[in-house]
Amino acid sequence: MVDQSLSVPKYWRRIPQYYRLTALKCRKCGRVYFPPRAVCECGSREFDEVELPRRGKLIEFTVLRSVTSDFEKQRPLIFGIVDLNGVRVLGQLVDCPNPEKLSDNTEVEVVFRRVKEDSDYGIIYYGFKLRPVKGCW
Amino acid sequence: MSISALGYINGVHIIPPGRYYDKGYRELFAEAALKALESAGNPDIKAIYIASALSELAGEQMAIGNVLRDYSGIRNAPSIRVENGDGSGGFAFMVALNHVASMNDGCVLLVGVDKPHEVTSLKQNKYASYLLDSDYESYFGATPVVLAALMAKQYMRSYEYKYEDLATWAIKMHERGSKTPFAYFKKAAKLKDVLDSELVADPLRLYDVSPFVDGAAALVLCSKPNSKDQAVGVLGYGFGASNSYFASRNDYTVLMSVTEAVKALNPLNDFNGIVSVHDTYSILGVLALESLGLCKRGSALRLLNEGYFDPGGKVMVNLDGGLKAVGNSMGASGVYQLASVTMQLRGDKPFNGLNAEAAVVEDMVGVDQESVVFMLKVVK
Repeated sequence: MVDQSLSVPKYWRRIPQYYRLTALKCRKCGRVYFPPRAVCECGSREFDEVELPRRGKLIEFTVLRSVTSDFEKQRPLIFGIVDLNGVRVLGQLVDCPNPEKLSDNTEVEVVFRRVKEDSDYGIIYYGFKLRPVKGCW
Repeated sequence: MSISALGYINGVHIIPPGRYYDKGYRELFAEAALKALESAGNPDIKAIYIASALSELAGEQMAIGNVLRDYSGIRNAPSIRVENGDGSGGFAFMVALNHVASMNDGCVLLVGVDKPHEVTSLKQNKYASYLLDSDYESYFGATPVVLAALMAKQYMRSYEYKYEDLATWAIKMHERGSKTPFAYFKKAAKLKDVLDSELVADPLRLYDVSPFVDGAAALVLCSKPNSKDQAVGVLGYGFGASNSYFASRNDYTVLMSVTEAVKALNPLNDFNGIVSVHDTYSILGVLALESLGLCKRGSALRLLNEGYFDPGGKVMVNLDGGLKAVGNSMGASGVYQLASVTMQLRGDKPFNGLNAEAAVVEDMVGVDQESVVFMLKVVK
């Protein structure tokens, strides 16, 4: 039996958000939620699924040097808040060896990447990450 | 007694935070609980409230109440454990307060206890990441310091502060801690120490982060004071919440949960007394002062640098050195704040001579998830 430390169903049920940034749009007021919510600020509980745009602007970022046990091999990690057409998302920034080249308003695009793996025998976890469109070399 | 309080803090005990490899949850709990009860005159207690965030994760113990109670020989009261991350202490106090407020005459025991040093620092970081949204934030490797760093950058940019201005928080907290017998960091720090410390998440350095510590603090909360001439009473409290998903917040330079929580109290712009803020990261201490309404937004760091929040002033902030110097005992940290502030209001050594009559205590879950704010007063 493989010693599995991360939960498979916990990952599997969020694949629409991890892979495709599936958000919910309120049918009544049009507000978009990522991550999804059961009740809109306007009180409505009726939503349609929408995918967030794949390009947006960086609002703020930081470089994390002190990572958790699942990300030890990936240290350091760059985290940023991006605005995807009015919906703000927190994610890892990748393909960026020189984070000092980043600034607010840097244009970023959503990419699909490996997030972490469950030791040597467990599953590999994937999800969205964010890449500066013009690079940051 | 001219003012009626929701409850009175009749006994406290603080175990100096540290790395207690030789003691488990039960030993720390028993020491804090029994000494707090003794200092309150060993009253009958109706319930044991336990504030702990990590008893399962680090202590591998579910249903910890009976283990702690049995070891301590406290038989005849039910145990209620409260978990709300690093805000567990404040939230447990709120529940305990409502319990005593509903009694004619009675006491409850509140003990905050946690032991992050049961595990390695990589695991501590992982458990701290559970304070964020596990599915949408921690999954990607984000931790509380990431959010605090993003807030610090936004704040410094908005109000044109340099990192040297923020470093003052750590310097002042270390200075206060050097005079606090129960502080974990008792050594003063210079600007160079802060600037030379390693970056954790820019702009935040090691000195901006409160250290994880093992510890237990306890207090005995009663519906009546045990002293006719002077007692510390809890006059009121408020609760507030912010968006759970960090990026979805409208403004990254304010602690919305604190702003909401403090609405239940009278406005604090003219407050005179002691303030204890939950400074897990330096920037969160600074933002708490503004979000509590003690000063205008954008001004806290300037006022801090000018000495406005120093001991002896109108608003005395974190007289014990805050979480920065006392340490971050996770679920117990709020109980440490409340017990320390009670000692400060009573004028216990080394807090004698302050002559403060009122105190505000702010406890927060994670980075602006939920907050509770309490107003404590010396009731004569």
